[in-house]
Amino acid sequence: MSEAQTNVKVHVDKVNKSYGSNHVLRDISLDIKQNEVVVMIGPSGSGKSTFLRMLNQLETPDNGTIVVDGYDLSDKKTDINKVRENIGMVFQNFNLFNNYTVLENIMLAPVELGKMDKDKAEKKARELLETVGLAEKADVSVNSLSGGQKQRIAIARALAMEPDIMLFDEPTSALDPEMVGDVLDVMKDLADSGMTMIIVTHEMGFAKQVADRVVFFESGKIQESGEPEQVFAAPKNARLKEFLGKVMHA
Amino acid sequence: MQKLNNIYPKESIFCYTKCTMKKIWIILTTLAIAVVATMSVTTVDAAKPNYIITTDATYPPFDFQDSSNQYTGIDQEILKTIAKREGFTYTLKPMSFNAATQSVTSGQADGIIAGMSITDERKAVFDFGTPYYKSGIAWAVKKGSNIKSLNDLKGKTVALKTGTAGADYALSIQKKYGFKVTYFNDSDTLYNDVINDNTQATFGDLPVLQYSIKNGTKLKVMNADSPYESGWYGFAVKKGQNKQLLTSFNKGYASIKKDGTYDKIIKKYLGAPASDFTGKKSDNTSLLGILKANDSAFMRGLWQTLLLTILGIVLASVWGIILGIMGVSQNSVVRGISTTLIYIFRGLPLMVLAFFIYIGLPGVIGAKIPAFTAGLITLILNEGAYTGAFVRGGFEAVDKGQMEAARSLGFTYNRSMRKVIMPQGLKIMVPSFINQFIITLKDTSILSAIGILELTQTGTLIVSRNSQGFRVWAIVAVIYLVVITLLTLLSNWVEKRTRA
Repeated sequence: MSEAQTNVKVHVDKVNKSYGSNHVLRDISLDIKQNEVVVMIGPSGSGKSTFLRMLNQLETPDNGTIVVDGYDLSDKKTDINKVRENIGMVFQNFNLFNNYTVLENIMLAPVELGKMDKDKAEKKARELLETVGLAEKADVSVNSLSGGQKQRIAIARALAMEPDIMLFDEPTSALDPEMVGDVLDVMKDLADSGMTMIIVTHEMGFAKQVADRVVFFESGKIQESGEPEQVFAAPKNARLKEFLGKVMHA
Repeated sequence: MQKLNNIYPKESIFCYTKCTMKKIWIILTTLAIAVVATMSVTTVDAAKPNYIITTDATYPPFDFQDSSNQYTGIDQEILKTIAKREGFTYTLKPMSFNAATQSVTSGQADGIIAGMSITDERKAVFDFGTPYYKSGIAWAVKKGSNIKSLNDLKGKTVALKTGTAGADYALSIQKKYGFKVTYFNDSDTLYNDVINDNTQATFGDLPVLQYSIKNGTKLKVMNADSPYESGWYGFAVKKGQNKQLLTSFNKGYASIKKDGTYDKIIKKYLGAPASDFTGKKSDNTSLLGILKANDSAFMRGLWQTLLLTILGIVLASVWGIILGIMGVSQNSVVRGISTTLIYIFRGLPLMVLAFFIYIGLPGVIGAKIPAFTAGLITLILNEGAYTGAFVRGGFEAVDKGQMEAARSLGFTYNRSMRKVIMPQGLKIMVPSFINQFIITLKDTSILSAIGILELTQTGTLIVSRNSQGFRVWAIVAVIYLVVITLLTLLSNWVEKRTRA
């Protein structure tokens, strides 16, 4: 994505977050440009998921500034629900709506939130199902799907709102190994299409291949960030070296 | 499986579309309004005063039900005759003696005639009419018992009827003779308790005991010739109230005394065998006979039970769901209200709540509350609190990720609740609802305490007449089981459909 525009989609400045005495994020600052694919790596408990969830306010920072799509999230006048319509999110545990079929899961938000009428939403949903390779599953109950299928449906559900930004919170961590590839393929296609993506993952191969930038979190801080070649081939930070030593040769 | 092209499953009972949800609400609201309207409309003959008179219909020969389930007895015939002569009408509300006296003092009823002894204590809260029957307190033991005198009662247990003069007398000599006491609300259960030797003696009004013994109750009166504290029965109204009713009663009483009607009534009940009133032996000693002889009474009782159950289930579910929704509100005040209401009404025993609403509340708000309404409100508050608790629990049991996913798409909290959390929560709750429906049906029996003539109260009245406790309660139990079975089958069917 060398032709990425300089347009800043996400601006984070000096954000802190604590749970009681546990200081999970310390003075985090980060800018993400349009069309950029940022992959966040780091040991569990390093704060990367909390950081991701702050970008759509599933978690609120104790202080600091977060501006998404030009909306200041700490501003009380900002309608967070409107902002969220433009930020898709994919969860580790899929979180498909159990009370709806696959097609209904994808159509629900655009129809409910008045973005599309039912016909248009359904057309869109079927296209998305085609894209994620699950067109034949439109009318089944979500509980009959495998993990990999669920996650691809979850991606389709998020995309149905036609967001500018997609957040992925360890999207393959709950999957059986043979399912991981299908989900990563969908994500890779999405990246190639120019979507702004912020991904928390342990899939280092995927990060190398797809990321414009890799950000290493440790102890609530960004210890190092840069292009994947540099981060993986020539890490400077001692903790990053140690972390890569563990995950790359596991 | 839902049809293609259809995001909203219309077939399911817990439909999620606005329109179907609205439809249910409209039906429920209409139903509720209809009920309230029917209950508040009571036809009153404007020309004649109409009084509510209460009694304890388990008190033969003074007050009981005859073989066609009509209220009869010395008291009832005196009252009926006087009302006719004095030109007033009345609605009779039978309940336990204790509840009957309280409903007069709380203003729910205008007068009471229930073989009620005139005592100084009662004079403090009631105005009595002309004393109409001389009575006294006797004590009785099981036939063949080896208890010969009050001294033999040491360490034994004495059965007493709550709130009666007999109970007061027994308590006054309890220390002296060293017996224990236990309480009952209706005479027949009490007699059976003594006959079954669970308790060893009872104290009660002499004529009542004698009448019961004459009609086959296996008890023996120990002081027939020298009743204690001999006194008089009186018709009573709340002190300082209903002067016109009391005047009418006294005038009518003087008139029936003068022309001999009074004596005829006494003779009719004390002279004749009880079977004259309680029906043929065959109607009272076989299951089929009892069922046939009382079929219309059982049907009426069953209908009241069903009415209470159905209205109770529907309205308590609506109220419970409201409480449950309030319980998961983002507003802490609304949540607090829900928690408090659930805490209070789940904590109160159903009977206490029923008495509070029926007997306690009217005195404060100064308006009568019909027993059925009071009973229904009791059910709604109590069962609704239980429902509210499991509804809230059901919503909270839905995986947190469902809410996060909905919020991440841009849904507000309320929309997420309505579209995603509640439909799933309600599905989780179906078994709890079914359980609560069955509990509601059973709980309606407790409302017999405030005189609602449902199935249990119907059984009480029939037993007090024919003394066939085993058979009558067996019939009542079977009716309850049949209804509960039908309710369970219906619920299972509904449950299956929501699972599909």
